[in-house]
Amino acid sequence: MTDALVLDNVRKCYGDHEAVKGISFSVKEGEIFGLIGPNGAGKTSTLRMICTLLEPTSGNIQVCGHDNKKESAEVRKIISYLPEDAGAYKELTGRAYLKFMAGFFASGQECEDMVARAIEMSNLKERIDSKVSTYSKGMSRRLLIARAIMASPKLAVMDEITSGLDVMSAFEIRELVKDLASRGVTVLISSHNMFEVESLCDRVGMINHGELILCGTPEELKTRFDAQNLEEVFVKAVKE
Amino acid sequence: MNHLANITRKELKELLTPGTIVSILLVVILFSALGTAMSGESESSAAPKHMGVIYGGDWNETIVSYEHIDPVTHVPVTVDLSMDKLLKSAYLSTYKVSNPSDYIVTLTDDDEKAISEAIHEKDLAAVIKIPADFKTRFDSHQTTNVESYYGYSQGGIFSTVTSAMGKDIKNNINSILSFALMTHENTKTFAAFANSPITTTSHTDINGKMHDDVTPYAIYSALMGQNMIIPIIVMIVIVMVGSVVISSMGSEKENKTLETLLTMPIKRTTIVSGKLLAAAIMGLVYGVCYLAGMMVYSNGITSGISGGSVNLTSLGLAMSTLDWIILMIVLFLAIFSALGICMILGAFTKNYKMAQTMTLPISGLAIIPMFIFMFTSWESLPGIGQVLVFLIPFSHPMMAMNNLMFDNFLLVIGGVIYLLVFDIITILITVKIYNSDILITGIEQTRPIRALKKVFKIKEREHEERGDN
Repeated sequence: MTDALVLDNVRKCYGDHEAVKGISFSVKEGEIFGLIGPNGAGKTSTLRMICTLLEPTSGNIQVCGHDNKKESAEVRKIISYLPEDAGAYKELTGRAYLKFMAGFFASGQECEDMVARAIEMSNLKERIDSKVSTYSKGMSRRLLIARAIMASPKLAVMDEITSGLDVMSAFEIRELVKDLASRGVTVLISSHNMFEVESLCDRVGMINHGELILCGTPEELKTRFDAQNLEEVFVKAVKE
Repeated sequence: MNHLANITRKELKELLTPGTIVSILLVVILFSALGTAMSGESESSAAPKHMGVIYGGDWNETIVSYEHIDPVTHVPVTVDLSMDKLLKSAYLSTYKVSNPSDYIVTLTDDDEKAISEAIHEKDLAAVIKIPADFKTRFDSHQTTNVESYYGYSQGGIFSTVTSAMGKDIKNNINSILSFALMTHENTKTFAAFANSPITTTSHTDINGKMHDDVTPYAIYSALMGQNMIIPIIVMIVIVMVGSVVISSMGSEKENKTLETLLTMPIKRTTIVSGKLLAAAIMGLVYGVCYLAGMMVYSNGITSGISGGSVNLTSLGLAMSTLDWIILMIVLFLAIFSALGICMILGAFTKNYKMAQTMTLPISGLAIIPMFIFMFTSWESLPGIGQVLVFLIPFSHPMMAMNNLMFDNFLLVIGGVIYLLVFDIITILITVKIYNSDILITGIEQTRPIRALKKVFKIKEREHEERGDN
């Protein structure tokens, strides 16, 4: 399996504050990789740099062989990003929102097919024609995830995918992500939910104070820290 | 009561943010500056002005002699009223100056072209032409028609002072002659003449062409609708469209739709252009609709004031199709400027609430020229004022209509070029900001702001430590 994502000594500074301090890791094609860490550790900055929203101060990021800085337009064609607490345009209906977003990737029948696929994935049924402002948090999240994966990206980057959702909605979304990975899409998620990370991710990386302090499969990490679960690993690693 | 005070205190704390306080102070400063500028303009319009006189008769020949009791000495005095004395007395009654002869300019050429030239070259507020047979007509109790000539210059409400002066001079001449007649003649048989020995016919020079039976006041009244309405409409459209764009940016940031949009496979320039173009089209539609509606409304009001007697088309002051097209272009470019500024400001907003405060600079920049053009004109401003007003992009659509009517194309074309340059620069800055991290991280994460915060934190800490000690 080749690497879908490679980060090489990536740094990000805001003024004299170094938020990300030379992070290096790689994610293989079709892998679900979890990025964990306390608040303010540098996770979101890292995800934003991968998605071309922020420019790294130094270091290199490669997405499917494309240099993130020099070929940002190419990278944007093959990635999709779902920010934490992301929303959709509230005055649009779910269908209109998907149509608007699909228009950036395809036109004509291809666009229509993409929207139809997304509607099916969102499972919003007849509510797809209601305004987004009338959706519950779970419905909005399903719509956004459908949007994120409808263009069949090679790399899907998702920040806190199930944050604030009820058990049923969170379960449905995790199933969607698993299905996505089974179709060869590389998924990079960031989450505070250790259960979710443990059950979803093939490998996990932990960031603290802008540095990658751990990287491995959940099993490897549990063995290394002699822990029952990933939450225990998290606590022990942060205290170290 | 405690609960009420508690809630009121909390609400005031939320409402009185530094942004609100700055905006209140700005409004005070703005209106004070405008008041000072207007009072200067008002004082200069009330100051004595030069008046040209053409009289073919003998200036020193006595027109009428009369006797009256001197109000100071209470002694009977005989006055031999000549044309020279009559005009000086009329001027003195109008402006209360000690040396009226300094302001009365004698002209000899009574050709209309020569009068127009004299008005402009000698800076005369008015020229009055008195027929050479004035004394003969006066002696035979025949009313004399005196011709009054004015030059119309764009000066808003202050452009009417010349016709006011002409009217005052005429009234004072009539008063003096009536008084003279009543003191020594039984006016019963010629009461109408004694009441008004002279009448006047007005002529006004517009764009170098003399028009009959019209005064600057009548022209101003006919133009009043657009002079008042256009600046207001432009201000409303600019503030409204600007607010829509900034709020849209605030809303995109608050809902985090912007982050998603920025990761789409499209150029940032396309996002910026799309947002600008949509808002500019909306602004233009608003502008045209408001303009049409308000023009109908203002025509309804001002037709009564001007008496409907002034036909602007016959005075060569109508807007041609080309003029309207140019006006729309200027309006569109000004809206684009507003949107460019708003897109830059919008990049720094964090949420919808902050976006509302961000519209203040745009409102200020639109209100300043609005007040200026409602009461005066660019031509009437001092040099520095002209430069400052020209630099405000929203001034141009406010003054374009008048400039087009009065064939002041240089200022219109200059404005179009300036707006184009301004728009290109704002778009380039906007694209630069949209390509930078600021859009995502906000201004707080930039090096200068972080450095500032650091300095303030250190000072705060020092204060706290001093307080502890």
